[in-house]
Amino acid sequence: MDFEVMRAYLPLYRDALLLTLRVGWQGVLLAFFIGVVCAVILHLRLPVLRQAAAVYIEFFRNTPLLVQLFFLYFALPKVGLRVGAELCGVLGLGLLGGAYMAETIRSGLESVTPIQSESAQSLGMTRMQAFRYVILPQAVSRSVPGLVANVIFLLKETSVFSTISLMDLMFTAKDLIGMYAKTMECLTLLVVFYLIMLLPVSILGSFVERRLRHAEFGP
Amino acid sequence: MKKTSKLLALLLIGALTLGALAGCGGNGDKSAAGNGEKSAAGDGFRTLDEIKESGVVNIGVFSDKSPFGYVDENGDYQGYDVYFANRIGEDLGVEVNFVSTEAASRIEYLQTGKVDIILANFTVTEERAEEVDFALPYMNVALGVVSPDDAVITSLDEIGPEDEVIVISGTTAETYLEKNNPEIKLQKYDAYAEAKTALENGNGAAWANDNTEVIAFAIENPGYTVGIPSLGSADTIAPAVTKGNTTLLDWLNDEIVALGEEEFFHADYEATLLDTYGADYEDTLVVEGGAA
Repeated sequence: MDFEVMRAYLPLYRDALLLTLRVGWQGVLLAFFIGVVCAVILHLRLPVLRQAAAVYIEFFRNTPLLVQLFFLYFALPKVGLRVGAELCGVLGLGLLGGAYMAETIRSGLESVTPIQSESAQSLGMTRMQAFRYVILPQAVSRSVPGLVANVIFLLKETSVFSTISLMDLMFTAKDLIGMYAKTMECLTLLVVFYLIMLLPVSILGSFVERRLRHAEFGP
Repeated sequence: MKKTSKLLALLLIGALTLGALAGCGGNGDKSAAGNGEKSAAGDGFRTLDEIKESGVVNIGVFSDKSPFGYVDENGDYQGYDVYFANRIGEDLGVEVNFVSTEAASRIEYLQTGKVDIILANFTVTEERAEEVDFALPYMNVALGVVSPDDAVITSLDEIGPEDEVIVISGTTAETYLEKNNPEIKLQKYDAYAEAKTALENGNGAAWANDNTEVIAFAIENPGYTVGIPSLGSADTIAPAVTKGNTTLLDWLNDEIVALGEEEFFHADYEATLLDTYGADYEDTLVVEGGAA
């Protein structure tokens, strides 16, 4: 191991980390937004929208991110729609993640038994009030582990960004190896930087989970 | 009844564990033996005798770099490099197992012993020669830059600060521009197919690569011109083997010298490159018998 070389590469890895985080988090936010919208549509069984959401979820859950990125970045310009590489990354992650988030949130919503909604309504709440004050808080706290897992999954999926010329962590490592052949050093840095990015998410996730599921875990 | 099923489950688990352990043991023995052979010969590569004994030579080639190494519509490997690879297999008396490589992973494939020889249009450079052993050259190459007809770039100075130049990760074009023109913004891809599509889509102002490659692209795709046909120093392309694999290296060198006597690489050019480049480039590109 050549630590001098590793130190020389650090700025490149830092840039890659920043890019990965920037694109990754925008993607995660978009995914969360899409996920909530779809889950609520599915849960409330809104006509037409429900079918559309189901098609969207099945479509994006069953195609790899790599293929989606290829399509967004290389195929759309052929029909005159040019999307920048970073925006492609955000869109790809958002659309893929949205499908996963929707399913996670929906399963959280379904896990709250219908009798709770009915009881709340029989106490005089409207359907929306019951949803907002009784169902949603329970559903969210139950979805947290799944949501955290999705966030980590999405941030790791950034490793296919090399396809669309984004210098994410993975591509930076591969590129340096291709140029200077310092394989051990580059791969070690790669692992370290992924951990720097993902360990805090993981730890923060468990913390949030404990806080939100206070009743189940106890103080 | 409950007791019996518990017992059965226990037995089943026991049997599975034993099976798994036995499996591991078997694998362990095998890999230990494999390592033993390898460490006797050096590390991480197969000697000439080991290759001949196994009956298969693993050769790393490109699968998306027409007309040098590509997969045709029947799924067969074709091209200038592949033509040579097939001859190597023939003269070694073994089957050729083609392994598809990307530009950036060519050195790793050799260092980890995944292939015996790299024949993927591998330009000889000092940095690479520290990591792998190059045999005698079989082709000449320089860098070239291709750009669209309506905005031809004929000198690197014409590349604006906002323009991005497409390069492929792990190629000599990338290293050259990083080293000599760090002010030029590079847009990096990890495969040829993607870089070409990116140029067609107008994602970059130009594409810098081996001149053979960009000339071929301009010939096949009307609307593009090679504004800079030769950039940097003239280099050569040679087969590479794992560092220290002298038996295979010596054999390859003898092979290339011997092939020179029958003008093999001219025949190779005529079979694979003539359609793309015409006869004009034959003597500039081909290196016969390892001597330019």
